[in-house]
Amino acid sequence: MAMPVKKPISMKRAKYWCENVEEAYRFQAAGWKDEEEYACSYGVPDRWPDHQWVKRLQVKGKKGGVWYYFSSKRECLDKWLPQVKLYQYE
Amino acid sequence: SGAFKKRTIVATEFRRFYERGDLPIAVEHRGIGNKIAWKVAIEKLDYHHYLPIFFDGLREKEDPYRFLAVQGTLDMLEHGGSKILPVIPQLIIPIKTALNTRDAQIIATVLKILQVLIVSGEMIGEALVPYYRQILPIFNIFKNANNNLGDGIDYGQRKRNNIGDLIQETLELFEINGGEDAFINIKYMIPTFESCVLN
Repeated sequence: MAMPVKKPISMKRAKYWCENVEEAYRFQAAGWKDEEEYACSYGVPDRWPDHQWVKRLQVKGKKGGVWYYFSSKRECLDKWLPQVKLYQYE
Repeated sequence: SGAFKKRTIVATEFRRFYERGDLPIAVEHRGIGNKIAWKVAIEKLDYHHYLPIFFDGLREKEDPYRFLAVQGTLDMLEHGGSKILPVIPQLIIPIKTALNTRDAQIIATVLKILQVLIVSGEMIGEALVPYYRQILPIFNIFKNANNNLGDGIDYGQRKRNNIGDLIQETLELFEINGGEDAFINIKYMIPTFESCVLN
């Protein structure tokens, strides 16, 4: 059963690449804000064993289940940094 | 004698399957890069059926088929684990057909995929050794396909499109991951290859 989604209190854009940005990028590529929102619908996502980056995600709003797969290497290029949103919660 | 000449690229099975709607994939054009949407989880796919079809698509030069084939192959290799090794014999014909087109763009794509394939699971390097006879003749033809810029700088190096360099990298990976018989078998097909392990 879906849990209620927590609302973020603020948002800022990524300025440089780091592990948090990579994490946010992967969730936002699949249409989600971040892990909070994803977990409310599909639970804990699969992660790569070595560095714990997200391995696969269900895409938001697709009926019947559609998956995005992510590499074990960095995927968020510098040119996409300004589009990555970092949400903060209380 | 035309050894380097491009050959006609015959239509791929991949395109036929995709247009018929038989492949569980679609392109998603996103602001942050294009991605493949998998309608079936990769873990549940029959690798014996799908992986050879994706490899067949590597000789596509036209989008979206090229993107789907290349990215789909990379996804399947990265998430395949132990399911890849039993399919190796079925991958040789599509690899050979793609290399035989002698098209620089296609050869570069296949070489990059081969580099990922070799390290995508245990024993894959060894499993490829019996098929060197099929794969390596084209390597031998293009091994010295390099640019002589004198003292100029090749600014395109970051694109990794230089066939000579890609072949050298791939052969070194073959040797490192191919077990003890790898070097002698490579040397048989490519006499100018020198070991990166023994020397």
